[in-house]
Amino acid sequence: MRGFGDLESVVMHMVWDSCGPVTVRELFDQLSRDRSIAYTTVMSTMDNLHRKGWLARVKDGKAYQYTATASREEYSARLMREALAGGGDTEAVLTHFVAQIGGAESQVLRTVVQRLSGRRPE
Amino acid sequence: MTPALLICAYALAVGWFLPELLAALTAPGMSARLGLTAWLTSMACVLACFAVALQYLLGAAVTGWPLLAQAICRSATGHACPPLVYRGAILEIPLSAAALGGALAATVLAWQYGRRLQRSRRRTRAHAESARITGRALTAASGTVVLDVQQPAAYCVPGRPPAIVLTAGALAVLEPAQLTAVIAHEKAHLAGGHHRLVALTRGLAAILPRVPLFTRGAAEVERLAEMRADDRAARDFGRPVLVTALLAMGTGTAIPVLALAATAQNVTARVHRLLAPPPRARHIGNGLALVTVTLLVAAGSALIARFAGPLAAHALAVP
Repeated sequence: MRGFGDLESVVMHMVWDSCGPVTVRELFDQLSRDRSIAYTTVMSTMDNLHRKGWLARVKDGKAYQYTATASREEYSARLMREALAGGGDTEAVLTHFVAQIGGAESQVLRTVVQRLSGRRPE
Repeated sequence: MTPALLICAYALAVGWFLPELLAALTAPGMSARLGLTAWLTSMACVLACFAVALQYLLGAAVTGWPLLAQAICRSATGHACPPLVYRGAILEIPLSAAALGGALAATVLAWQYGRRLQRSRRRTRAHAESARITGRALTAASGTVVLDVQQPAAYCVPGRPPAIVLTAGALAVLEPAQLTAVIAHEKAHLAGGHHRLVALTRGLAAILPRVPLFTRGAAEVERLAEMRADDRAARDFGRPVLVTALLAMGTGTAIPVLALAATAQNVTARVHRLLAPPPRARHIGNGLALVTVTLLVAAGSALIARFAGPLAAHALAVP
């Protein structure tokens, strides 16, 4: 069984992949096809996501209709903006495998790469 | 007063002149771990020195007032001459002002530092959570997620739980072995608690932007942490894999591990010189130098903190 955090991710991806607003029931039906999961778990997960600002909801009869507050692309772009913002200025502490490299260094790397690919025996 | 000045002078000397020496010793990144220890120990020593100096200053300010009050009383009853009172006041008032100012500055800085750390931790955790929700899990069990972004990037971010983030662009340029090495590199950061070191030192650099030990130290700690993580990944997966992964991510083009492994060693050597620590010949000497400098700074701090009082008393007593 995956952790609770993972379920949030799964739910968000399902909401993003769906064409319009979704209800807890619809997601629960989809989810219970490939895992045993309680309806209340799905409900509380979606409630959490709503509380954290990921999902917006409107009451439709007895049930809530959930929609994502921003698209997956928008979230990805936001993350990348924060992750790639200049060096030590970001408030979030991340460690990049390769930091953003400047023109000169990048040129040196490219030269090395060209030499490598030129001599590659194939 | 004098002990505090002595300690401050020592701390400032270390804060201003040590960075040059440490940077020269740690620049090649020969012993990343010793380098990290040297920087962090020196920073801790300078901070401790300032704290002890402030303590001396406050102590002197507090003990001075009763004496002054005594002098005032005695002069009022005619047992002592007024000049003694003036001399006491002239010494005591600036001393107290300095102690108060120092204590105030220290409190403000500590508060700013705490706020900054707290904010950065909150942002970091939020980023980790956001990445975990937005990304797709790379495999079922790992904490590695993939973001649908074309620009190659790979990083890790601590949180509860932490996340290792890769972009689709990174997956496109990395071979499976290189990908494993990249993930190992990021895991080494998480296991080594490197984010904590980076956050702590960045915070110090932000609140004390004029002290080179902290500003330069923050950048060096970050660089050495990278090298340390590189060492760990290279140890497990080999330097060629790591170097080609670095090149691939750095240039955004796929570079097979084979390209490096199959070409002449001199090319490998050049890439090493570009991207990895230099030969091991000077390794031991460099390590010894780092250890010696670290020990000297620590011992110097301990000695000055312990003996500044007696030293100053002795110096004043001589004439």
